[in-house]
Amino acid sequence: MPDPIHQFDLYRIFPLNLGGWDVSFTNSAAFMLLAVLLTVAFFVLATQSRALVPGRLQSVAEIAHDFVAGMVRESMGKEGMKFFPFVFSLFIFIFVCNMLGMIPLGFTVTSHIVVTAALAALVFVTVLVVGFARNGLHFLKLFVPSDVPIYVLPMITLIEVISFLSRPISHSVRLFANMLAGHITLKVFGGFVVMLLGAGSFAVLAPLPLLMAVAITALEVLVAFLQAYVFAVLTCMYLNDALHPGH
Amino acid sequence: MSPRERARFESRISELGEQLGKARSRREAELSVGADAEMRGRGMGYGMRMAAELVAAVIVGGVIGWSLDWVLGSRPWLFLLFFLLGFAAGVRNLMRMYERMQREFAARGGRIGQSAPDDD
Repeated sequence: MPDPIHQFDLYRIFPLNLGGWDVSFTNSAAFMLLAVLLTVAFFVLATQSRALVPGRLQSVAEIAHDFVAGMVRESMGKEGMKFFPFVFSLFIFIFVCNMLGMIPLGFTVTSHIVVTAALAALVFVTVLVVGFARNGLHFLKLFVPSDVPIYVLPMITLIEVISFLSRPISHSVRLFANMLAGHITLKVFGGFVVMLLGAGSFAVLAPLPLLMAVAITALEVLVAFLQAYVFAVLTCMYLNDALHPGH
Repeated sequence: MSPRERARFESRISELGEQLGKARSRREAELSVGADAEMRGRGMGYGMRMAAELVAAVIVGGVIGWSLDWVLGSRPWLFLLFFLLGFAAGVRNLMRMYERMQREFAARGGRIGQSAPDDD
């Protein structure tokens, strides 16, 4: 049976060592770079004509913009639009990375927790920095609910702090686990097809897992979009706490 | 327009209206099936998110307790305490998420956690 984990292997394309740190250019880095280049190329191309009545490419770019802008405005209000570039970049980057992973022989960057954790940590640190910069110590109100009797306040505060600290974990694990599990499932069903084909008369059953694999592929395309969306929505929600820590 | 022409015209109109009604109801049925599948997909997504939310908080609580124990040498008491606090924080996360979902659904004119009204 083909190893379902093999698809996540990292290997060095250009080995590089800087001051004792291994900063080699890996296949993961290559796909990240590809995602960024594709995104930039697409948006440069799509916004070239700037027609009042958009063509096909321009329509897609405008839909993407309005989709994220609506999300940002809905959860953070008008002042949240300052974070639009941040949220938009995150959403598009994750979306393109997930989609590149759906292409056969592609590599799914977001199926490595180190990548998703870095993205989640970026959001977490941004929330902390923006929260303290904008509200000063008022930001700490986030941990002290207003209508709580004084004798349970210490415990509630502790619980709120733990809840706050758990955010980057659930934020990153959700994206990573979804992509990892989906791709492993896909590979396992693909493996079943090959195994059944090689098992004599059982080969007549081979179309069954093949059908499953096709169905799961469709599901995975949906998941790839949905997880990018969920990541962006949660980012908006957390950033909203930094802007309005009162509630 | 002669009376006969008028009668034909009217029967033609009612026929067209009937066809239009049929086409509309078919289209609506298709749409509601799509919405149902979408809701189920969403429900699955929400379930996964809730699980992650709960587990993450328990892990954070456990790790904090474990490290405090390690620093203060009070094993295993702080671990147990913070494990429970982590669980409480997880439930808090779930409650918050539920409220948010409720608002989202309400904005779209639906409700969760409530079955369809039945006859009896």
